Amino acid sequence: MPNPALEVSLRHQAGPLDLDVQFTLDAPWTCLFAPSGAGKTTILRMIAGLDHPQTGRVVRAPGSVLRVVLLDTDSRIFIPPHLRSVRMVAQRPALFPHLSVVDNVDYRMPPSLPEYENDDLLGPGLRLAEITGLCRVSHLLAKMPSQLSGGERQRVALARALASSFPADPLLLDEPFTGLEASLRDDIIHDLRIWTAERSIPVLLVTHDLGEVFTADAHVLKMESGRIVASGPAAEVLAPERDRLIQRLTQ
Amino acid sequence: MESQAIWLTLRLAATTTILLLAFAVPLSWWIANGRGPARAVVQACVALPLVLPPTVIGFYLLVGLGPLTAPGRLLLHILGHPLAFSFSGLVVGSVLYSLPFAVLPLVAGFQAIGPEYVEAASMLGASPIRSFFDVTLPLARPALLSASVLVFLHTVGEFGVVLMVGGNIPGTTQTLSIALFDQVQDANYADANRTALIMIVFAIIGLALVYSRRPWRDSGRQLA
Repeated sequence: MPNPALEVSLRHQAGPLDLDVQFTLDAPWTCLFAPSGAGKTTILRMIAGLDHPQTGRVVRAPGSVLRVVLLDTDSRIFIPPHLRSVRMVAQRPALFPHLSVVDNVDYRMPPSLPEYENDDLLGPGLRLAEITGLCRVSHLLAKMPSQLSGGERQRVALARALASSFPADPLLLDEPFTGLEASLRDDIIHDLRIWTAERSIPVLLVTHDLGEVFTADAHVLKMESGRIVASGPAAEVLAPERDRLIQRLTQ
Repeated sequence: MESQAIWLTLRLAATTTILLLAFAVPLSWWIANGRGPARAVVQACVALPLVLPPTVIGFYLLVGLGPLTAPGRLLLHILGHPLAFSFSGLVVGSVLYSLPFAVLPLVAGFQAIGPEYVEAASMLGASPIRSFFDVTLPLARPALLSASVLVFLHTVGEFGVVLMVGGNIPGTTQTLSIALFDQVQDANYADANRTALIMIVFAIIGLALVYSRRPWRDSGRQLA
């Protein structure tokens, strides 16, 4: 079995939120599946370094030479978010409103890219074209964020995160496809699976949408009231939910 | 005499605005993001010139930065002349007196920017300083504009501090407001009227600039 990309263990209690989770990212795509308000977003924010857990430990590439401890409350390790090399697409797209779509996507894109053999002249342009095509935003490049619809904003936010990402850096997706029409969403997920696989980027997807989970063919971590209650392939773990949905649709 | 006073007033207002903004931007950012008792104390000190009579500030500037105190001697050493009755004295007094007019709009501007933009920048690998210049400052542009215009106008219109620190030396420390005071003392109402009108025109132009500003959301709409 290959080494996991990320090892996460978090415990946090605040108000109605009571979080106690341990998991590793082994599969290319892992999905945190839970109803709203279960603390999924908080988990992503803690992995990203935007929130502090009361106790917790997040280790990148444990068991390999590239091992990095991103967070360890016991030994007081906290790497600030911008140094974690973790990319996150938040639920609210938060596009920079003073920059056009292309400038948003281009923001912090690395100037030289190994995948284009350091072709500094053409590399960035090719990458931009590839990513904006993947996220279906190529026709929006000249617009300002205020002119976009909700779904378009989400796709631009995804493109912006992809453009700045390096191979093997974990990608955290917080319900980034919610506003999208199902067939468009499935196309993007399909292309994104290929794109992340080519760069061995592990993806942690947070959602409460069954269609998304099955399209992504992800390893599922099912959460209930702050605990992970089941883990396995989507077809196994989410069989009851799927059957209930099919039943409701065929009635 | 008037053109001399106009030129001096504009020079003072411009110098004050530039110096004060350079100082107020980091201070406001700290206030907007800080917490705890230190923040409250600093905020109270910044707001002091709003409630204190300008003569109080002028008096302590004269005494505190005079040749009898350590900071005063340091300034004397740097400038080569005492602060009182000089243009640099006016600048120091104006910077202190207009501080709240720069800090209050800037703090409000910084606080109005949602944390999600800086978080998004940090998720793309931008350090806090990078995201401050790339994201926070551009988004605070309307607040920066109001702060600059308010400071400029407030400095043009200030009287008490200037009189206390600078006295009334034509060409060196006699600003428009003090020239007006002089003209009225001399019962020279025609000149006084002209000076007063000049100041009203300044104020109207400046305030119209503040209120006509549009958030870039709208300007973005127009660009496309």
